[in-house]
Amino acid sequence: MSPAESTICSAKQLRASRLEEIERRQVEKMEDEYKDEIAAHQKVMEMATVLDVNMMDLQPELEWHMRPYLLDFLVESHLSLRLQPQTLFLAVNLIDRYCSRRVVFKKHYQLVGCAALWIAAKYEDKKDRVPTVRELKIMCCDAYEEDMFVQMEGHVLSTLEWNIGHPTVDTFLKQILQCNCYPSLEHLALYLCEISLFHKSFLGFPPSVIASAAHIVAQHLLMNRTGVFTHVSPATSPDISHCVSLLSQYILHPPSQSLQKKYSSSVFSQVALILQDFVVRQQHSVSALPPTPPPSSESPVPQQFDRNTVMIDAFRESAAYITPPCSPDEACPAAYQELPTPC
Amino acid sequence: MSGSSSQYQQLEKLGEGTYATVYKGRNRTTGELVALKEINLDSEEGTPSTAIREISLMKELKHENVVSLYDVIHTENKLNLVFEHMDKDLKKYMDSRGDHGALDYATIKSFMHQLLQGIAFCHDNRVLHRDLKPQNLLINNKGQLKLGDFGLARAFGIPVNTFSNEVVTLWYRAPDVLLGSRTYSTSIDMWSAGCIMAEMYTGRPLFPGTTNEDQLQKIFRLMGTPNERTWPNISQLPNYRSNFPVYATQDLHAILPQIDPLGLDLLCSMLQLRPENRLSARDALKHPWFAEYNTPRRAPQGLDMSMHPSTGLMGPPQLPSTYGM
Repeated sequence: MSPAESTICSAKQLRASRLEEIERRQVEKMEDEYKDEIAAHQKVMEMATVLDVNMMDLQPELEWHMRPYLLDFLVESHLSLRLQPQTLFLAVNLIDRYCSRRVVFKKHYQLVGCAALWIAAKYEDKKDRVPTVRELKIMCCDAYEEDMFVQMEGHVLSTLEWNIGHPTVDTFLKQILQCNCYPSLEHLALYLCEISLFHKSFLGFPPSVIASAAHIVAQHLLMNRTGVFTHVSPATSPDISHCVSLLSQYILHPPSQSLQKKYSSSVFSQVALILQDFVVRQQHSVSALPPTPPPSSESPVPQQFDRNTVMIDAFRESAAYITPPCSPDEACPAAYQELPTPC
Repeated sequence: MSGSSSQYQQLEKLGEGTYATVYKGRNRTTGELVALKEINLDSEEGTPSTAIREISLMKELKHENVVSLYDVIHTENKLNLVFEHMDKDLKKYMDSRGDHGALDYATIKSFMHQLLQGIAFCHDNRVLHRDLKPQNLLINNKGQLKLGDFGLARAFGIPVNTFSNEVVTLWYRAPDVLLGSRTYSTSIDMWSAGCIMAEMYTGRPLFPGTTNEDQLQKIFRLMGTPNERTWPNISQLPNYRSNFPVYATQDLHAILPQIDPLGLDLLCSMLQLRPENRLSARDALKHPWFAEYNTPRRAPQGLDMSMHPSTGLMGPPQLPSTYGM
């Protein structure tokens, strides 16, 4: 690139960043004006799109251990299609709500997942990003015919009575973080939110609670590592404290391969490495401690997040949680197959 | 929401849009008239994103100034949306009732009040309509006005996402959108509301542009060409040209001689070039022009009188001496 070209290029960049700044300020006024109404509406929609975990237990063919495989497939498809972050959370909510209302055969689980991702993309993303039915078919390695996606999409929409407006975790996260935060904090919190998608224990929490908890744990992880954050926001409700303590336990498990890969990239500030480091250091410090009796099953929910006790307690308790088995059910179709790499 | 299409008798065609055809219909059991919006399902595209957004948003929006969605009938290759029946849209209403399209004072005020209530409700529920124009405002014979056609509507979160700027029919499109801003928000609908208010006075669209460029020129010719002083950072917007013809701000009263001072004040507050200066729907409803709607014990909805031109025009009300309520 010639010096002249690079000057034009940087002038363009400067212009673009100035434009963003102007647009941001324009929006601030409106945000302020409608904050309360929108928060109230989000509460209503949070409740309207809540799912019934007990109903999901009643599925005759589906088992909980199959869900992480489907989610892995979705995380990878979502990434390769370059969809908005909220699209993934919305798709998972649609899948779980559908599964808490209708029997799903094992062989159709991935089809439900694709239909949900399709609907979520149509709701959230620009038209040119929405996958075509052919792309969906290829993503599933031809396990389903094209018309099956259209049919399943219709089933999901009518079963959910077209209630698509689920306020996603990342919307709440953005509200907590505002615009002026370290990208690594934002990415780490988002990573934690996506980790929470994989575990049944988080399905009962409203997305706003998960977002707050992820923010707290992310701040804590960054403070431990870099000392940049000297302040960790306190949990403002027992629900959030509970969620923080759960999240502190689950991050000690090896996360899903696809998530780990996604968040190891520089686009996401390589935050997967921050978490990995933390886990290693925790294991060292805990192995140095004398053995402790196993915690009672009714350990009280900590009201205030205290990094020293919760993190170590979390680690002790973590032995009680079983990770999903590594080998999938043979009868389950393409969900586990290699996905085509994005073009 | 699981009716069958045989439940409704399809009557005459009411209109055709880009992705749907609207018919008048009748509920076979109750005899009630409805509007049937028929959307063809493409075997490639499945359910159009416009339909997914429109249906899910309209299910959340239950308000007397938003058209009700009664039912969704999903068949193999068609989607039928059953809406409450409205007699006509504002465009047709103006053509049929008005004096060369222009409406009387009381009707304009009633319609504006209802339009703003509908918009305020949408915005409170984080929905941007994004396509407000007389053709999308529906009127029934009780004098009620309701927002319809949410095909381009979009839910916004906070912080607001960037959207495409291919929204809103050109004539009602806000200058910031025309200049290429992508983070427009609730103010986009308020500009359209201002354009519609002026159109009800004259019977003619306020800014009937032919292209993006022409649309901006028509706006600037009346509202004045903005510059860095009147609109800081305007030159950073992608479609800004330093060689825009420079026009001075005109007095809107010259083209709207019928309008009273308070009405003009409200109109000017909605037609602010800078989006951050534009009045919000909620503040517009508190404007003194609506004083008679804001005093207790008056029913603002469906001003029946306005629907009977034979009763004659209602004169402008006593103007309040102070701005506050």
